[in-house]
Amino acid sequence: MKSLRRILAIAHKEVLHVLRDPRSLYLALGMPVVLLVLFGFGVSFDMDHLPVALVDEDRTASSRRFAAHVFGSGELERVDAGGVTASDAVRLFEQRRAVGVLVIPAGFGASLARGRTAAVQLLLDGVDPNTATQTLGKADAVVRAAGAMLTSPGRGLPRLPVDVRVRTWFNPAGRSALYLIPGLTAYVLALASVLLTSLTLAREWERGSMQQLFATPVGRMEIILGKLLPYLGLGTTAVLLVLTAGAWVFDVPMRGDALALTACSTLFLLGMLGQGLLVSIVAKNQMVATQMATITSMLPSMLLSGFLFPIENMPAPLQVISNVVPARYFIHALRGIMLRGNGFAEVARDLVALGLFASVVFALGVARFPRTLA
Amino acid sequence: MNGVHEDEGVAPKAASAVVARGLRRDFGSVPAVRGLSLEVARGELLGLVGPDGAGKTTTMRMLAGLVRPTAGTVEVLGVDPFGHDGGRVREVLGLVPQENSLYGDLSVGENLTFFGELFGLSRAVFAERRARLFEITRLGPFVDRRASALSGGMYKKLALACALLHQPRVLLLDEPTNGVDPVSRRELWQLLYELVSRGMSIVLSTPSMDEAVRCHRVALVHEGRILLQGAPQALLSGFDCPVWELRGGVRDAVFARLEGAPGVLASSPAGARVRVVVEPDAQAAAAAHLSGLGVELVPARPDFEDLFLAALARAQRADPVEGSR
Repeated sequence: MKSLRRILAIAHKEVLHVLRDPRSLYLALGMPVVLLVLFGFGVSFDMDHLPVALVDEDRTASSRRFAAHVFGSGELERVDAGGVTASDAVRLFEQRRAVGVLVIPAGFGASLARGRTAAVQLLLDGVDPNTATQTLGKADAVVRAAGAMLTSPGRGLPRLPVDVRVRTWFNPAGRSALYLIPGLTAYVLALASVLLTSLTLAREWERGSMQQLFATPVGRMEIILGKLLPYLGLGTTAVLLVLTAGAWVFDVPMRGDALALTACSTLFLLGMLGQGLLVSIVAKNQMVATQMATITSMLPSMLLSGFLFPIENMPAPLQVISNVVPARYFIHALRGIMLRGNGFAEVARDLVALGLFASVVFALGVARFPRTLA
Repeated sequence: MNGVHEDEGVAPKAASAVVARGLRRDFGSVPAVRGLSLEVARGELLGLVGPDGAGKTTTMRMLAGLVRPTAGTVEVLGVDPFGHDGGRVREVLGLVPQENSLYGDLSVGENLTFFGELFGLSRAVFAERRARLFEITRLGPFVDRRASALSGGMYKKLALACALLHQPRVLLLDEPTNGVDPVSRRELWQLLYELVSRGMSIVLSTPSMDEAVRCHRVALVHEGRILLQGAPQALLSGFDCPVWELRGGVRDAVFARLEGAPGVLASSPAGARVRVVVEPDAQAAAAAHLSGLGVELVPARPDFEDLFLAALARAQRADPVEGSR
């Protein structure tokens, strides 16, 4: 009873601190939404209108028709006004005016007329592999289609022995926002909650009020719980805000079990608050706490969580490390719940992992939290 | 504030309120406190007097259970603050740290409420004590002011009020008059006398020799050790060293001659004169050494600073290696 009173007293005091320091409110609620919107618009793997130049060494009616088909689709955008030679390609890449150059060699029309296979060349700027791959894929598709139109005019698309009809589920338009928003949610929440908790404890050390607290009968568990309670509330509000913003600005659907999502995000938040607690045990001033909190939350949840880079593509040691990054499980669960409509059954493993992480960091934090100044 | 109640949790029969034996604390390889023992009786006001860096704050924190001693023991009302029942010590102990350590962004009233809650005071008891503390400290009109906007003296009063809310039986005050104006300082001392007269035990640290005289008993602390302790008047009347005031002469020449003079324990400027503390059995040698400078040696009444400087010089003489560290 006395203990509960002390916890609530600390929580209440913490709420007063937050209300009187608008910066921490911004950090908790404003920053996640701002980051979400910035990243959501800024980070996109979607590419249309890839700039490609055309070198027509053939200059026949066939080559012109072929080029018209290739660029008519809108997937590739022709950036030159004609008269480009193959030796200009390097210059175009250097000036970043084109990501690819399509070369129709002399004799293209003649080969076609004789019914032989005609070769075309695609030069790619490989500096950005992602763009190059997408250009290759798109060019391959449109060149095939254009070639088919040329060889069998008037009959539409050719009949192939095997007809593959691709249907992409859950994200039919292939919008990367749908893939990124769940990851982004985990990222901004990790950053904000680790930062806030480590800061609130570091501030107490820095201001000297920790010794006044220690001189009262308040226990360390009471200090920890009282301090974290308001931030759990703040973090939950941030989750709701970010998901609302995601749904509203980027049309991210919510197809699965809201309760499962609540469970996942609460466990994830608890883990992040515990991590902030751990940081504050080492960092007893706000400067160091800010840096440690940022590094320990931002880097793993961005790079090792599957947010930007698929975990399967990572080198083996990093894959192993990613097993202890809670954002990995949270992102996995979020994507499943929001896009695939998953429920508790599908995210059970993630829940266990998140719960395990939270328990371990809390146990460590509580064990290491000092009750003396030195 | 009326009376100090006996708390069943803490051994009520312990003879002394605070007992520290052989306290030592090193920070890395730097010793802050090097074998310090003290005892505070019930209703006694003990002053830890010494220069900055003497180890007063570390000692206070060890008594409060905030800094773990490297060696030695502490007992507050018979209970070890670092032991299993350490929590009981905190129920009966009040601390006013040297630094500002309240919440600057909370108001006077909010700070008091917060500590009232931590000590588990009932609403009625809290309201009554708050009213009484407001009366004593005259903080009432500033109840809604943020602690960070208080003057130095008012801030200390608030810190004291927060430390008195639970009516502690032992009160630790680390340099409470630091940055406090003379009027507030006098009020603070009046309050402290009132508290000890009701049975509270107080340990107070101060670098000021003037304040030392006001304590029931003082302990002169230097480099983590107690050089001397006793009642201020008894210490002064038992002081065996003559004190001279040197009048006239050229100041620089006088100080140059005093350097390494035989029998001279300490010298310090006092207005236009120079104050000198002399070893009792070396008066003649010291006087002879100072002759020819055109100075007149006028005997003066020893004060507390003389006492402290003499004790310091003797300690350094007795143990030059340790003393200079």
